[in-house]
Formats: sequence, C-alpha cells, structure tokens
Amino acid sequence: MDMLINPTVVELSRLQFALTALYHFLFVPLTLGLSFLLATMESVYVITGKPIYKEMTQFWGKLFAINFALGVATGLTMEFEFGTNWSMYSHFVGDIFGTPLAIEGLMAFFMESTFVGIMFFGWDRISAKAHLVVTYLVALGSNLSALWILIANGFMQDPRGGTFDPNTMRLEFSSFVQLIFNEDAQAKFVHTSIAGFVTGSMFVMGISAFYLLTNKRKDIALRSFRIAAVFGVISTIGVVTLGDALGFIDVKAQPMKVAAMEAIWNTDYNTASAPWNLIAFPDKAAGKNLFEIGIPYVLTPLLTHSEDTVIPGIHQLVDEAKPKVVNGIKAMVALKEYNHDHSNVQALATFKQYQADMGYGFLAMQYAPDQDLKKVDASNLASVVDKTAHETVPNVWVEFWAFRIMVALGFIMLAIFAFAAYFSLKNEVEKHPLLLKVALWSIPLPWFACEFGWITAENGRQPWTVYDMLPTFVSASSHSVGYMIFSLIGFVLLYSSFIAAEMYLMFKYARLGPQASHHGHDKAPAGGGMAGQPAFAKPSLAKK
Amino acid sequence: MKNLFTFVGMALILALSLFLAVITGDYGPWYFAWLVGTTMIVMIAVAGAVMYEKQDAESQDKTGHSH
Repeated sequence: MDMLINPTVVELSRLQFALTALYHFLFVPLTLGLSFLLATMESVYVITGKPIYKEMTQFWGKLFAINFALGVATGLTMEFEFGTNWSMYSHFVGDIFGTPLAIEGLMAFFMESTFVGIMFFGWDRISAKAHLVVTYLVALGSNLSALWILIANGFMQDPRGGTFDPNTMRLEFSSFVQLIFNEDAQAKFVHTSIAGFVTGSMFVMGISAFYLLTNKRKDIALRSFRIAAVFGVISTIGVVTLGDALGFIDVKAQPMKVAAMEAIWNTDYNTASAPWNLIAFPDKAAGKNLFEIGIPYVLTPLLTHSEDTVIPGIHQLVDEAKPKVVNGIKAMVALKEYNHDHSNVQALATFKQYQADMGYGFLAMQYAPDQDLKKVDASNLASVVDKTAHETVPNVWVEFWAFRIMVALGFIMLAIFAFAAYFSLKNEVEKHPLLLKVALWSIPLPWFACEFGWITAENGRQPWTVYDMLPTFVSASSHSVGYMIFSLIGFVLLYSSFIAAEMYLMFKYARLGPQASHHGHDKAPAGGGMAGQPAFAKPSLAKK
Repeated sequence: MKNLFTFVGMALILALSLFLAVITGDYGPWYFAWLVGTTMIVMIAVAGAVMYEKQDAESQDKTGHSH
C-alpha cells in the first residue's frame, strides 16, 4: 500500500477489462440460448421422428459451433487478466473469487466441451435418444458455465461468504453456501441466462425470416421460425420479470446503483407519489438533473413493490457515506500499524472496531496526501471525507441511459416476438413480409440489450470492484502506462479479428442456408444440412 | 427386468427432483425458477412445433400442399 497508485494505469486497466468483457459477451448469449434451442429442435425430432428436425438441429448447430469456438477463445484471456492487470484484487479476494472460476473450468466448461464433441460427431455413432441427452448436457453445461461466472460476479456486487483476515490481508472463505445462494448471483444468473435465450431466439427467427423472404428452404424456415418465436416470447417475458427482480434486490444491496440508475438525487418522502424519471439529463458535477420528465406514482411500486418504502437519493447516500469514510480511515491506519507490528493489540482492536467500513478507508487513500492515510489530520480530514463520499457516486448519466436503452430494447423485442408468435401460431407468418423484415433487422437488438445490461451492472458498481469493500482504485496492478496501452491495442486487434472471423463465417453459412433437400421430409441426408459443409461434419460423413 | 430398471431410474430422478426442489426452493428460489422456467420454455416451444406439424398435415389434407 506504500506504492503510489497511478490513476491512468487504473483507468487503462478498467478500459481493457471493459472492452474484453464486452467483446466476450458478444459470443456468450448466443451460446446460452442457441444450445437450448438446438435441444428443443432435437426433442421434436425424437418425439415426432421427422428427419427435418434432425436437419434443422444440424444446420443451426453449425452456426452454434462457429460461435462456441470463438466464444471460448475470447473467454480464456479474461481469466488471465485478473492476475495480470488486477493483481491486488486477485490477492485480496482470490480465495473466494477464484473458487467459482475454478469450478466453472473443472465442471461446467469441461462438461460442455466434452459433450459438444459428441454432439457434433456422434450423430451416426449413438442412438437418437442418447444424442438428445448429449445435446441437453451441452446446453446445461453452457448455462452452468455462466452460473459460476455470475456467482463470482454476484460476490463482487454483494460480497457474502468471506471474512477479512488482517494477518494475511486477504478476504477468506467463511461460507460456500452464502456465496452460491447470494440473492444477487441467483437473480443475475437467471436474468442473464434467459437473456441468452432471447438472443438465440432472435437469431434463429431473424435468419429464418431471411429464408422466408428469399424463398429458401421454407420447410426449415417455417418450423425454425415457429420454435424461435414461441421460445422467444416466453423468454422475453421472463427476462423482463427477472430484471425487475434484480432491481428489487439491488434497492437493498446497492442503493447507490439504483439511485444512479433512476437519476434520483433527492430522497422523496412522499413515497406513493414519487415520480419515475422516463427521461433525464443527469449532471453529476451539479448534483441534479438538468432536464427530466417524470411519471408520478410509478417509482416506489416499480422498485420496491410497495407504496411506502423510502428510496434514498444520491445526496442522502453521500451524506450517509461520510461517517463511514471517517471510520474507514481509522480502520486502515490501525491495519497498517498492526501489519508493521503484529503484537500491537491496540491497533488490532481499533481495526476490528471499524472493520465494517474498511473499504471506505481504501477509497479515501486517493485523496490523502501522498496516498498515505496517516497524513490525514484535522486540517484536511473534512476535505478528504467530502471528496471520498462524493467518489461513491458512479457515472449517473451512463447508468441512467444504459439502463433505459436495455429496458426499451427488451420491450421492443417483446412486441416483435409477440407478433411473430401470434402470426406463426396462426400459420400466417408468410402473409406479413413487414414482420419478416423487422425480425431480420432486429437480430442485433438482443446483443445491444445484453451489452447495455452489463454496462448498467458494472458501471453502477463503481467505484468498487467488490461493493463497499474494495475500490477499483486499489485493485489494479502496478504496470506502466506504456505496457497498458500496448496490451490494450493488442487485445483490441486480436478481439476485433475474432469478431471479423465470426461475422464472416456466420454470414457465409447463414446465407448459404441448409442445403436444398433432395430427399423429401422423411429422409434427411447423412450429416443433414452439414453434408458437404465444414470440417466438423466430415468425420460422420466419411464413415458413410 | 428392463421395466424394473426403468422404474427404479425414474424413481431416482423423481427423488432427486424433489430434493432439488426442496433445497433450491428454500435457499435458491431463483435457481429453482430457472429450472422450472427453462423446462417450461422448452416444452412449450416443442408443443408449438408439434402443433405446426398438425397444422401442416391439415393444410396438406385441404390443399394437397405441404411445407
């Protein structure tokens, strides 16, 4: 803690992680959703015995494979980034944070990767029912991967299951049960997984709409459209409901994030009539909204599911943070003294007295002379406390608008899926070319919604890496600015090439579509739509 | 014998499901919601596809044309 922390390095580390995470999450939701859509299509194949559903599973499986391979490649680097760019963070919470990541690698990722091979190459080697089980295991494995990652993220949002040890200077495990059953982790997993279902549905529905508009393999397109529309409409209802649940949990766990998300600067004690800001232009420096359009009587029931719960505003939360900063400074000074001399019982006792607010002491370091809290005295205490308390406010403008864009996209997709499911169930989807065009051009919407969702979650957690406990400011490694710029450029180039490869392959195989059927509905070719197609289909074809 | 194994297998799945329901229902209601919700979404989507086949068959009977 004696080393001076360079804020430019911290900002570059944040930017690098944000970019790699956002890149990675371009691949993840499609894997989460498309895997269960493949399982759905294959279930219909096993139930009805109609080979066209096998062909559908194989065709969409081909696009799944492209996405899966590139998703894995982009995910691996992120796990190393914790060690290279966030070494203080890894030291501080590695005991807890590393555990779900390790389980993800050992259990879910291995399971997913093993069965994905059987799924692609095992069509002619195992029975149809056994293959269906394998496809479900791939879908389950993909989503279990997400589960462990989101348990790790849930810990960052609402740290539970750990106890700080002043001797090791680490947060150490106290309860695995608390970690995995953390409410934030639970709601976030379900919200994120179902958002993946929405993404997969929009992808299949949009490409099927393209085939219907271009009169290509209508037999496959109509069936795929039906499954995706029905899957999508229920999933979108689910994702909206679960988003509401996550907000409800955050009111208690992360009140500052919620206040920023809704641009609430002042606490409104007229709870029933408190307005919900539909539009606002928050100005953090001025501490108010420059312009706002609020709808009365909506805010409190929307966020708290009651009419009388007070939702604290940003100014109130800043005031509440001030005594925590004072306590946090005392805790950190005592901790430093104890670390110099482990026999200093008085320092340990003082630390334990103020330990709950230790994170605020960390946060105050950046405003202390020479980043040394011992140099905070009566002459500068008020200034340090005031600046630190205001530091607890995230970027309100970004938080407010990222959240609103995500929600708006969610409702737009719900409307599209509702119309699509309605007309598909009436078997009239071909009579509505406008709907087909909207479905096609809406393919990117779930990706935008997912990305803005993550921006809402992570920007709202700032200035903390572990909420109320470890600030981002002290979490980064002590690299040079030049190293960070060099690695940042490297990552951007590498990940952009992955995106370019994904887009090229997706466009190529989606445009090509399933091969024209020469066999009628009852006899799908061996390898189905994969026959004569990419390399991963060839082993099964070669056997023939 | 095969029937016995099937019965025992199904009974074990049922017992495991009940165990999961009790544990996740108490401690992880949202995990439980995911299990139930995902199963429901898949089943309804499968039902939608089966319904399509019926509609297609009826259309074929009426017009002699099928997708």
